[in-house]
Amino acid sequence: MTVGPVQRDDATAEFFDATAAGRFLLRRCPAGHIGEPAATQCTACAATDLDWVEAGGGASLVSWAVSWSRPADGDEPRKTLLAIGELDEGPWWWTLLACDLPPDAAELVPGRRLRIAFRRADAEHEAVPVFVLA
Amino acid sequence: MTESSFPSPGMRGLGPRTWPASSRPVIAGLGMTSLGKVYGQTSARFAADAVRLAVADAGLGLADVDGLLTSSGMAGGISIDLQRDLGLKDLRLLSHLQAYGSTAGAMVQFASMAVMSGTANVVACVFADSPLRPEGSAGAVYGSRRVPAGWWGLLGASGVVGANPMYALAARRHMDRFGTTSEQLGHIAVAQRDWAALNPAAQLRDPITLADHQASRWIVEPFHLLDCCLVSNGGIAVVITTAERAASLAQPPVHVLGWAQSHPGRYLRRSPDFGLVSGAAAAGPAALAMAGRRLTDVDVAELYDCYTFTVLLTLEDYGFCPKGEGGPFVASGVLGPAGKLRLNTGGGQLSGYYMWGMTPLSEAIIQARGGGGARQSAAHDIVLVSGNGGVLDHHSTLVLASEAGAG
Repeated sequence: MTVGPVQRDDATAEFFDATAAGRFLLRRCPAGHIGEPAATQCTACAATDLDWVEAGGGASLVSWAVSWSRPADGDEPRKTLLAIGELDEGPWWWTLLACDLPPDAAELVPGRRLRIAFRRADAEHEAVPVFVLA
Repeated sequence: MTESSFPSPGMRGLGPRTWPASSRPVIAGLGMTSLGKVYGQTSARFAADAVRLAVADAGLGLADVDGLLTSSGMAGGISIDLQRDLGLKDLRLLSHLQAYGSTAGAMVQFASMAVMSGTANVVACVFADSPLRPEGSAGAVYGSRRVPAGWWGLLGASGVVGANPMYALAARRHMDRFGTTSEQLGHIAVAQRDWAALNPAAQLRDPITLADHQASRWIVEPFHLLDCCLVSNGGIAVVITTAERAASLAQPPVHVLGWAQSHPGRYLRRSPDFGLVSGAAAAGPAALAMAGRRLTDVDVAELYDCYTFTVLLTLEDYGFCPKGEGGPFVASGVLGPAGKLRLNTGGGQLSGYYMWGMTPLSEAIIQARGGGGARQSAAHDIVLVSGNGGVLDHHSTLVLASEAGAG
């Protein structure tokens, strides 16, 4: 279960600078509302002068799914556990849940505690946030 | 004129019922190219063919067309240049629309408003797509070819690629909240295949069982292969005109009684409703109110079915069953040709053909006309049509009626 390669662009440069250092950044408006990293306007008050603020890294499971990919060489399907996590600061985040498969479905209940971690496809590409079981 | 002298817009809006009968909107033509594994044509050619077929079906000529609305799928390749391909002169309405799976319903709405207002009199609306290639799967077209970068690249790098994972996450949330099961979703797949067996235009017509559904390979759990729609090449067009104009044309008129859209604005945002309630919950009642009809008046429902789950959620949101009870409802024997609910009577996108919102719309027109052959619903005066796009993010509803149903 690995992340794919991703490159930065102008909008994501600061975010990926942070993930490289093991930090997950969110947006914060002057009134203190917290938004998702990609936000360019505060969802609560429409402010556009947003700062970056570091997330604590804790999250709760919202939903999960298991993606099966078929390798072209006919090998066994590769399974990737995906999750939506609600960050403790409020925003949701969509990424893979890095844990040993097969997942114990009984453990994957809404509210299950998760933690943000980081993985790279390779040294050439950016560090990608993933969830791990807390 | 004071503000209070305007009719109240409200839920009913200034719908067709408030208009003189002669200028109310009618679907007068339907054109469908060969659909499915049809190779060697561009999307633009499918679109042009579909418009020519729809105009001929209505008993009109291309010179009668004075409005054109175009839309395209993921493969693109269609634009307002279709006017040139079709040799259309002096159009009074021309636009390319994109609201994903809700586009077809939206086009009918805009075309209806255009003919009601006299902006145009004969409006062709078309969708076409050609994602399938003879060699290999459609994944190459439906997936991303771009170098992954930025926020979208990050989502893909995180393992969330395309619609399948997002809808699976939505369905899982419904399962966790309400106890919905994969077997219950399977009832929708089986019933629609039974309908498809009666539809000569359907791509998949061999009956399947619930066991087949459960045994079909996982795409993204909780979705099996048989929870997911087809991929199809082809084009479908409809022609909208006024009731007055339609009266002397070739086909039984299909009246557009009511409509609504809903775009909740939740995509990739925290949302308590994710997977539990879609825009259908707002658009369905609003469209019925505009039409002056109740849900119990609906004879046939053609609901957008990119996944089995989309059907289940839309049934709940429209009020065919209480919220959260979609699973037991679809498993209760109401579905399929032997059930009491006339739902996705052509096999839908799961088994019929995948033309985005044109799939439910085309089957709705066929049913409202009474032209469904072996799958025709005996009662077909009021037909409810849904369109859904994004990840349950964009919804359109149409309430259609036969001549008898429009009275």
